[in-house]
Amino acid sequence: MSIELIHVSKSFDTNPIVRDVSVSIATGELFVLLGASGSGKSTLLRLIAGLLELDGGTILLNDIDVTRLSPQQRGTGFVFQNYSLFRHMTVAQNIEFGLSIRKVKRPEREQKVSELLELIELQGYEDRFPGQLSGGQQQRVALARALAYEPNVLLLDEPFGALDVKIRVQLRQNLRAIQQRLGLTAILVTHDQEEAFDIADRIGIIDQGELLEVGAPDQLYRNPTHRFTATFLGTANLLDAHRNGTNIYLGGVKIPAPANTEQFSGKPVEVLARPEEVALSRTQEQSPGSIIGKGIVESVVFAGPALRVTLHLQGEGGKTLQALLTPSDVRDLDLAVGQEVWISLKEYHLLASSVK
Amino acid sequence: MREIKPRSPLALLLIGIAVLYAVVLFAAPLVAIIYGAFKDGIDPIIETLTDPAVLHAFEVSIGLALGAVLINTIFGLVTAWVLVRQKFRGRGLFDTLIDIPFVFSPVIAGYAMIVLFGRGGWLAPPLFPIVFALPGILLAKTFVSLPFITREVQPVLGALSLEPEYAAYTLGASRWATFRRVILPELWTALLYGIVLTFARAVGEFGAVAVVGGNIEGYTETATSFVFRAMNDRNSTGAYVVSLILCLVSLLILFLMNLLRRRMVVSRG
Repeated sequence: MSIELIHVSKSFDTNPIVRDVSVSIATGELFVLLGASGSGKSTLLRLIAGLLELDGGTILLNDIDVTRLSPQQRGTGFVFQNYSLFRHMTVAQNIEFGLSIRKVKRPEREQKVSELLELIELQGYEDRFPGQLSGGQQQRVALARALAYEPNVLLLDEPFGALDVKIRVQLRQNLRAIQQRLGLTAILVTHDQEEAFDIADRIGIIDQGELLEVGAPDQLYRNPTHRFTATFLGTANLLDAHRNGTNIYLGGVKIPAPANTEQFSGKPVEVLARPEEVALSRTQEQSPGSIIGKGIVESVVFAGPALRVTLHLQGEGGKTLQALLTPSDVRDLDLAVGQEVWISLKEYHLLASSVK
Repeated sequence: MREIKPRSPLALLLIGIAVLYAVVLFAAPLVAIIYGAFKDGIDPIIETLTDPAVLHAFEVSIGLALGAVLINTIFGLVTAWVLVRQKFRGRGLFDTLIDIPFVFSPVIAGYAMIVLFGRGGWLAPPLFPIVFALPGILLAKTFVSLPFITREVQPVLGALSLEPEYAAYTLGASRWATFRRVILPELWTALLYGIVLTFARAVGEFGAVAVVGGNIEGYTETATSFVFRAMNDRNSTGAYVVSLILCLVSLLILFLMNLLRRRMVVSRG
C-alpha cells in the first residue's frame, strides 16, 4: 500500500474536522476524496503531507510510519488550488526548487526541468515568470514542481477549482494521463463529482470529517450504502419502504426485492432509483419495470441530451420524483403537464432507512 | 478633444496656499542654506570639510545610524513576524506600543535612557559606559527609528499567502531556507523602504542623541549636534556647510524612497 491512514483524527479547538478516517490506497491508484466545502477533505490532505499535526492515528507512506515526520521528511508532492508558485522565480526555478534544495547538480536539474516542461507541454516557457502565465499554465507548472524530485505520493487540493470549465476538463485528463504514465499514487480532493467520476480509480465520500464510504465511481453511484452518498452523487429518488420475505412494500405497493439485500430483511429501508432508472407508461401493461403507482406530470424540462420530468406520485406520502427520459420516449408517450402516467422502476437499490 | 475648463477661484486659492506653504517651510530654508554655505566663497567650505571635528561628527552620525539600521533590521523583522504570525495575549497592546518612539519626545526618551543606563541606574552597565558615550548614541538612534521597518514589513507579510510556504516545506525546504528563498524575496522592497526611512531618521536625530551623548566634541558629537554648536559659536559657515550636506543626504534618501515606492506599486500590481 502506498498510502495508509489508520484511525486518523484532527480537531481545531474543540471542533472535530477529521473523524477516525481509515483507508488504504494502492500504488499507482488515483484516489479522489469527494466532499462539500468544509467537509474536512483538505484538512485530511494536509495531515498526510505533514502540514498539520494529527491528534490521533497513524499515517503510512510506502509502508513507513511518517506520523511524526515533518513535511520536509515525508516527501509528498503537493499541488494547491491557487497554484502557489514562487512569484519571484522563473518557471524553471520553480520547477527545480525541490532539486536545488536537495543540492542536485545543475546539469541534472536542467535535464529534469526540460523533461518536465515537455511532460506538461510548456517547452520554451522556462524563463517566464508565473505572473506571465495563464491559470491553467501556472497549475501545470505547479504540478511539474511537485513532480520534479519524484515524490512518494502526489496530493492535489482542488487543483482545478480556480479554472474555467473547459480548461478544467482538459487539465484533469492531462493529469490522469501523466499519473498513469508515471505510475503515480495520488489523492485528489474535490467537490466536483463530475471531476471525480472522470478521473478516479476509486472515490472516497467525506462528510463532516467522516469518510463514509469508498468505492469505484459506478459502484458508488449505482449502489451506495449511505443516504448521503446517494443524494450527494447525482440526483436520487428515495422512497420509504419495508423489506419482508422476498418483497419490498412501498405503502400498499409490492415490488420484488433486489438480489443480495437479505441483510435488510424485516427492516425499514429506502428504495433508491436514479432518474434514468424511472420509467413512465400510459398503461400498466406497457410499463418496463416494477410499477410503484400512478403519478401526475408536473413539469418537463429540456436538459441537453435528455428531458427531465418531475412527477407527483399519488397515494400516501405524495412524493415528488425525477425521471430522465429521451426525447423519443417523451414523444411516444405524448407527455404533457398535468397528465396521469404509470410510474415504474427499471432498476432500484436499497439503503438502510434513515428513519429510526 | 477634451474641453479644458477654467479653474475655479477656489481651486486657484488652494493651489496657491499649498505652494506657498511648501515654499515657506521647505524651499526657502533650503535656498537659504545653500546661499549661506557659499556666500564667503569656497575656502571656508573646504576648511569646514577638513576640520577633524566635522569629519568625526559625520563618522559618528553615519556610522551609528548604520548600526541602528542593522539592529532595527533584525529586530524589526522579528517584531513584524511575531505580530503577524504569532497569536498571544497582549499582542494588540504590543502592536500599539511599537509606535511609542513616534509619539515620545526624543528628549524625554534620551533622559529616560540616562536614568536607566546612567550611573546608579537600573541597567547601569558594569563594563563600559553607555550614557555620554557612543553606545548611548547608538541606543538613542535605534530607539527613535525603531518602528519603521516593522511598520513597512508588517502589512506585506500579513498579505502573503501561506500556501507558497507550505509548498516549499513539502518540496523539502527547511524553515530557514523557506524564509530566505520564498518569503524574504517578497519582503525586499518593503524592507529596503523601511531601511531607508530608518537611516534617515537615525542620521537626522538630534534631541535624544544630544541628551544621551552629551555633545562631547570629537567624541560624542554628531553632525546635527555640530550644527547646533556651530550656530551657538557664531560659526555660520560651519553650520551652513554641515546642514547642506545633511540636506543633500536627505534629498538622496527622498529620491531613493520614490524609486522604491514605484517598485512597490509595480510588484504589488
